[in-house]
Amino acid sequence: MVKIKKRKLGEAEIPTSSMADIAFLLLLFFLVSTTIDVDTGIGLTLPEYIPLEQQEFVPISKERLAALLINEQGDVLLDGEIIAIPQIKNNLKARIESKINLPKNKKLIVSVKTDRKTNYNLYIQALDQVKGAYFDVREAYAAGTYGKKVFDLTPEEEKEIKELIPIIISIAEPETVKK
Amino acid sequence: MKFQKKRASTKQAIPTASLPDIVFMLLLFFMVTTTLREHDVMVSFRLPDAKAIEKIENKRLVSYLWVGNDGKMQIDDNIVKINEIQTIMYEKRVSLPNIIISLRIDKNSDMGVVTDIQQELRKASCLRINYSAFYKL
Repeated sequence: MVKIKKRKLGEAEIPTSSMADIAFLLLLFFLVSTTIDVDTGIGLTLPEYIPLEQQEFVPISKERLAALLINEQGDVLLDGEIIAIPQIKNNLKARIESKINLPKNKKLIVSVKTDRKTNYNLYIQALDQVKGAYFDVREAYAAGTYGKKVFDLTPEEEKEIKELIPIIISIAEPETVKK
Repeated sequence: MKFQKKRASTKQAIPTASLPDIVFMLLLFFMVTTTLREHDVMVSFRLPDAKAIEKIENKRLVSYLWVGNDGKMQIDDNIVKINEIQTIMYEKRVSLPNIIISLRIDKNSDMGVVTDIQQELRKASCLRINYSAFYKL
């Protein structure tokens, strides 16, 4: 019998040196095409639309209302008095704080009213101040009551704080006369 | 007297075997975080800055409305007119009940446009809105 010599197989190996290059190529594609979009902004809930005929006026006591008016010249009036935009925060903070322990229907309402020609940026700055005032009061309350930051609160505590310090911002419609 | 230079006898190559792993890790990170641009924005706008801003946690709920510095409005990939907003937004809301409308409005716009849009949104009962703004440093 003839012995057939087994042929020795060469060791099979996949060249992996180019793997890094391929990975880099992919990485580059994703790096370029990626947009880490930051969706940040001032959140607000609009009131429901009610036709003019069905609207009814609910009287609100002056004590409860903080009326913020931004006119087309860029003047900001808080309850009829001219105020600089950065001062809105401190002004409102005291008023929000004084109403923490009042029942739900006595909390502060901030009404923001603009003219049709008012600059949008100005409106955002004013709204930012109002929101900032609320956030600061919440932060202070959380620190004083729970000794924590708002961010670290448990859901129950967060709910409580939202009930005690609700953000009520009313966006009033501008007078149509000035259209 | 001759001095022999001291030389390490070990090899001085950096091991590159783990390089693909590292790169793959980076790749994976970008693949996971990436969101491909969904819309072509056809209006030019500059967002306002604000301090008391929140992040929108749920991106799936967000629908955008752009208003450019020339007053043009865009929803999704189309330039729209003010009186069309209500129908478009209503349809959107029907398919996604708790939709958030992110308003990307140029900072030099007039409030008149903004109020008109808000009125349309109210009519379409899209009540959750978000004024898009950058964080003020």
